[in-house]
Amino acid sequence: MPAGHGLRSRTRDLFARPFRKKGYIPLSTYLKTYKIGDYVDVKVNGAVHKGMPHKFYHGRTGRVWNVTKRAIGVEVNKQVGNRIIRKRIHVRVEHVQPSRCTEEFKLRKVKNDQLKAEAKAKGVVISTKRQPEGPKPGFKVEGATLETVTPIPYDVVNDLKGGY
Amino acid sequence: MGRQPIGSPYVKAQKTRAYFKRFQVKFKRRREGKTDYRARTRLINQDKNKYNTPKYRLVARFTNKDVTAQIVHASIRGDIVLAAAYAHELPRYGLEVGLTNYAAAYCVGLLLARRVLKQLEMDTEYEGNVEATGEDYSVEPGETRRPFRCLLDVGLIKTTTGNRVFGVLKGALDGGLDIPHSDKRFAGFSKDSKQLDPEVHRKYIYGGHVAAYMRTLIEDEPEKYQSHFSEYIKRNIDPDNIEGLYKKVHAAIRADPEAKKSEKEPAKEHKR
Repeated sequence: MPAGHGLRSRTRDLFARPFRKKGYIPLSTYLKTYKIGDYVDVKVNGAVHKGMPHKFYHGRTGRVWNVTKRAIGVEVNKQVGNRIIRKRIHVRVEHVQPSRCTEEFKLRKVKNDQLKAEAKAKGVVISTKRQPEGPKPGFKVEGATLETVTPIPYDVVNDLKGGY
Repeated sequence: MGRQPIGSPYVKAQKTRAYFKRFQVKFKRRREGKTDYRARTRLINQDKNKYNTPKYRLVARFTNKDVTAQIVHASIRGDIVLAAAYAHELPRYGLEVGLTNYAAAYCVGLLLARRVLKQLEMDTEYEGNVEATGEDYSVEPGETRRPFRCLLDVGLIKTTTGNRVFGVLKGALDGGLDIPHSDKRFAGFSKDSKQLDPEVHRKYIYGGHVAAYMRTLIEDEPEKYQSHFSEYIKRNIDPDNIEGLYKKVHAAIRADPEAKKSEKEPAKEHKR
């Protein structure tokens, strides 16, 4: 019999619940709110059968474009052939987690605003741009003793002792 | 394999180390037997397109000597209680005995409803059912604001007809809250005629069932009456003036439902 390519084929381990985490899902999943424009990670919860995305989207991150009663519309990039299509899927909230990909950016935005406000108050011009790590500065090596190493002259008689 | 006292015969351990390694504990409140998570997920789940709008539930719980009614909404950091009413507050309104019966549960529900409405400044707009008749009453939407909506959370009790949690529900409804319900489980609903008999329900709300029992005991077993209803006798509560007593309590509740902070001594400092 051929392998079969059904909707949930090859998902035996992918959709399985982790070890000792079976059964009821914690209620914080239902209490989280999602707004349009948020970034979310799609992670399938095998315990909830409704509103499951296709296995391709497991592990993808996308933006929220729609919010309905029990589900969220997520816009995910998918490479089809030679182009990337923006695909819009609807997923129940149990299969979605808020993404931390923009967390660092948001924190930096807040901090930069604060720095700029301080600089404006003092009248100083600052740049809040991130700089890439440059070459390491020069440094002195401490506690070094000099040892000169020279090669030993080749001694035919001794080195050939073990035979050819 | 577990240490056994020396000299005892070898007993194969039933629960091996492997068993414990694979054991998945249930949620803590399930282990304690306090929360029904199946019901809780359905009560808490709010439509996503309502974002942060809180979904309030009327929590009615009974202990052996007290009744607790709270308006709660859920949050990730923990449930937040908007208002609470207890049966042990009823002495303040003139009811000192029978704090866990159907009539007292009605009083607690009524107290909670009036308290919440006063807190939200909706109490003048939503009077509710001032005269308790036992009929099915639902709040009508007022002029400016829509009525306060919450869902009944019974917890782990069996929802049989005439249960006291529905007494709390009826008290809250008559107090002016909007709670989706049906009269199938109120005391006085007959399965045969599929109708609520408001007379029977009204009897329960005013403690008529207690009064009836008192009357039968006075006639048949006066000694048992003395021992069982000793607190009632001490306060001169006869079967005839029970209804009047509850009417007064309802009026007192509607007059001043505010919660009063109890005076507590500062906690004793323990010497280390």
